[in-house]
Amino acid sequence: MTTQFENIYYGAGTDVGKIRFASSGMGWKQLEGDKTVTVSAADIKWIQWLRVARNFQLRIILKEGRRRETFDGFLRDDHDRIAALVKQHFSVTLEAKEISHKGWNWGATDVQGDDLAFLVSNRTAFELPLANIANSNIAGKTEVSLEFANADGGANGKKKARAVDELVEMRFYVPGTHTRDG
Amino acid sequence: GELEERGKGWKRFVSYKGEAGLPREVEGLRIFVDRKSQTVILPINGFAVPFHINTLKNVSKSDEGEFTYLRINFQTPGQLAGKKEDTPFEDPDATFIRSVSYRSTDGHRFDAISKQITELKKEVNKREQEKKEMAD
Repeated sequence: MTTQFENIYYGAGTDVGKIRFASSGMGWKQLEGDKTVTVSAADIKWIQWLRVARNFQLRIILKEGRRRETFDGFLRDDHDRIAALVKQHFSVTLEAKEISHKGWNWGATDVQGDDLAFLVSNRTAFELPLANIANSNIAGKTEVSLEFANADGGANGKKKARAVDELVEMRFYVPGTHTRDG
Repeated sequence: GELEERGKGWKRFVSYKGEAGLPREVEGLRIFVDRKSQTVILPINGFAVPFHINTLKNVSKSDEGEFTYLRINFQTPGQLAGKKEDTPFEDPDATFIRSVSYRSTDGHRFDAISKQITELKKEVNKREQEKKEMAD
């Protein structure tokens, strides 16, 4: 059984690489460059499988704190092999996290660890890392706006032609009279 | 079939019944207009997030220095312009996404995206109108 997968991205990065599974853990290596990332088997708490933009993500939740590592670019057909590998090497069950693709703009927000998740019919539609929220405003009784930090820092003139569309702001309508506890 | 029961008065619509319906283009982490599914797919923190055209109100574009900004406005309660029958205002607890703004240094692309969204919206509205007239 193949223990290596190609065209895998590390985190939000845009460099592709390959990832390999072994009993000691997993290791990712950049294709064009020397960057490597290793996740030790002993540090793995659980592993999730979810659909993201770049196909499927393997999300490794680490025992230490709430830290996690993510790898994007797996294909639908990789699921069974990955499930077998993580079972065999790390004794964990690959947990499928269902994502909503309904196309609705209404649902519920929920703070989950270090993320603000937007749920549609109780399924995650997307998550926003709380750390990326640079500013938030409440306008009137029903509107909350979130501004996002420029990932490039912006200020130091690092004007790289980004290939991606950069999310800068999101506004929510939140029912005014409703209070939610917890 | 995945039918949703959320009160009467608005039509059910679903962009994709499962992840397999997402078009390949979402891999590029850029806004994509999927005419076939009447859906605009937004890249949000690595997720490909579809929004059915029925949830969209309009789109506006502005230039600021080297950047072009694209703002997508959605149908939400509390807007006079919102058409009541298109959204499930029956759920008083729901949080709505009201708008999402992006920026890019590629103004031409945002111009094209903006036109595609406006066209799709027009097309769908026209079809709705025709259906209503047929029903009368």
